[in-house]
Amino acid sequence: MAKTVRYSDSTVANYTRSRKGKGGEWGKHLFLIVVCLLVLYPFLLMLQMSVKDTEQVVYHFFGIGRPFHLENYSKAWHEVSPLILNSIIMAGGSALLSIFVAGLAGYGFGKLKFPGKEPLYWSVFAKMMLPGVLNLIPSFVLAWKLGLLNSYFSVILFAVGGAQPFWVFVIRTFVQGQPHELFESAKIDGAGEFRTFLYIAIPLLRPVLTLAGLNVFLGVWNDYIWPLVTIQSFDKRPITTGLAYLSTTHVGDYGPLMAGYVIASIPLIILFSFGMKQFIQGLTGGAVKL
Amino acid sequence: MSTKVVVSSGKKLSKRLSSLLAAAGFVLPAILFTYIFEYYPMVNGIFHSFYRWNGSNIEIFVGFENFKEILKDSVFWTSVRNMLFFLCASIILMLPTLVTSIILFRIKNSRMQYLYRIVLCIPMIIPGIVVMLLWQFIYNPQFGLLNQLLSSLGLQHLQQLWLGDPSLVKWCLIFIGFPWVGSLALLIYLAGLQNLDSSIWDAAAIDGAGPIQKALSIEIPLMKGQIKLNLINVLAGSVTGYSLQLIVTGGGPGFASFVPGLYMYQHAFGSASSDYGYASAVGLLLFLIAIIISLLSMKFIRSED
Repeated sequence: MAKTVRYSDSTVANYTRSRKGKGGEWGKHLFLIVVCLLVLYPFLLMLQMSVKDTEQVVYHFFGIGRPFHLENYSKAWHEVSPLILNSIIMAGGSALLSIFVAGLAGYGFGKLKFPGKEPLYWSVFAKMMLPGVLNLIPSFVLAWKLGLLNSYFSVILFAVGGAQPFWVFVIRTFVQGQPHELFESAKIDGAGEFRTFLYIAIPLLRPVLTLAGLNVFLGVWNDYIWPLVTIQSFDKRPITTGLAYLSTTHVGDYGPLMAGYVIASIPLIILFSFGMKQFIQGLTGGAVKL
Repeated sequence: MSTKVVVSSGKKLSKRLSSLLAAAGFVLPAILFTYIFEYYPMVNGIFHSFYRWNGSNIEIFVGFENFKEILKDSVFWTSVRNMLFFLCASIILMLPTLVTSIILFRIKNSRMQYLYRIVLCIPMIIPGIVVMLLWQFIYNPQFGLLNQLLSSLGLQHLQQLWLGDPSLVKWCLIFIGFPWVGSLALLIYLAGLQNLDSSIWDAAAIDGAGPIQKALSIEIPLMKGQIKLNLINVLAGSVTGYSLQLIVTGGGPGFASFVPGLYMYQHAFGSASSDYGYASAVGLLLFLIAIIISLLSMKFIRSED
C-alpha cells in the first residue's frame, strides 16, 4: 500500500507537467472498466440465472424478472452442502498438515545443523523441477494399495506430499533470512528446539505460512482429476466432481444448478475476504522471490 | 579424572544423539511425504511404462512395445496436433494479461487502481469448475447465452452447435478464458512492476516517449523474469494439462479436442480395459517433453541474466 502512495505522489508532479495525459487517463479507465465487466459477466449471468425458473431462462434470458425463485437456493443447498463439507475437510486438512510438515522441515533445513542436511534438502527440492503428469496412474495404484480409495486421506496425504518441495524451499529461505540471535536467545533460555519452533519460528513465519496454507487450500479445492479417480463414493465427493456430476444429472434445471454454483463459491469468498490481503501481499511482496 | 572424561564424552555423545533425533523430527516428515507420495509413484510409473500392467494381477515386461504402439496410434498424433494448437493459442493469449497489467499499473488514481485489482482477482475465488460449467452452459446450443444472443439480434442463421462442432470446438475451448486476463499472472506481473523507480518514469515523460514505446522500453524489461515464469507455466500447463478438455468436452466430438494428457487418462481410467502400463508410457513421454521445456527455458533465463 505504501508503495502505491509513493508512486501517486511522484506522478502528481508528472500530472501537472503534461496536460495531454488527461485524455489518456480516461482511456485507461475505460479499458479497465470494460475488462472488469467482461471478467465479471459470467458471474453476473450466474447470479441472475440462479433466481429464475426454467421458463424464465428460456423466454426471458437476459431479463431479470419477478418472481425471484429463491427456492432454487434451498433446493441447491440440499445437494451442494455435503459437497462443500467434504471439500472443506479435504482442503482444510491438506492445508493445515502441509504447513505443519513444511514449516517443521523449513525450520530444520534452515536453522539446525546435522549431517547430510544439504543432500537431503536437495533431494526434496529437486522434485519441484520434475513435472507431475506421470504421477497420476502410479499414485492411484499406491492409494489403492494403501486402502485409501474413497477416503479423505487419499486427497490429503497426496496433497501434503505435493506441497512439500516448493513450500519447504520457500520457508527455508524465509527462516534463513531471519536474524540468528532470535533463535539463539530462546535456546539459552533453555527452550528445546521444538519449543523454539513453536513460540518463536511460527509467529515469525505467519505470513509465509498463511500464503502456503491458502495456496494448498486453493489447489485442493479446485482439483478435479485426482478426486475423480480416487473418490467414487457419492457421500465423500468434493465440490468439483460433485458439481460436474450434478450438471449431468440435472440437465435443464438451470436455476438450481446456478444457485448451486453460487453456493459452492461462497466458502472461498469468505476465506479470501480474511486472507486476500496476505495472499496478494505475499505474492507481490517478497515472500516468494522470483 | 578419567571417569570424568568418559562421563562428559558420554554426555556429549548423548547430547549429539538427541540433537540428531530432534533434527530428524523436524525434517523427516517432509522427506517421507515427498519420497512416498511424490518420488515413489514417479519411479514406479517410469518402471511400469515398460510393462503391460493393470495394477494387480497382470504385470508383463514388454520392453519398448508401449512406446512403439503409441507412436503408431493416429489418435495420439491427433491429440499432439491439438495440443500444439492450444499451446500456440495460450502463448499468444498471454498478451491481454500483460497489456492489462501495464495499463493498470499506469493508472494514477491509486484508490481506483486498488479497486480494479480486486475486481480482476475475483475469478480466482470462484472455483475453476464453476467457470468451466458456466461456459459449458454459455455454449449450450438450445438455451446458451451465445445462441440466445444471436437469436435476439435476429442472426439465427449464425447459430452454431459450438462445442458439438468439430471445427469450432477448439476455438470454443480457447474462448473459455475470455477476456484472457488471468488473476494470478496479473498479480505476478504487478509484482515485477513494483520495482519500477519513478525517476525513470519522469525521464521518459520528458523524452516524450509514446505509451507503447514506454511499455517496450520500461515496463516489459522490468517484467522479464515474471514473463518467463508465466511462459514456463503456460508451456508446461499446455503440454501436460487436460482438465479443461476432460470437464467441458471429454475430448470430443470424436477426437476433435483430444489432447495427450487426456489420451493418458482415457487409457488408464476411461475404458473397461485399464492399461496402466500403456498410460504410464504416455505419461513418461509427456514428462520428458515437460522436462525438456523447463530445462530449455531455464537455460534461456540463465543466459539472459
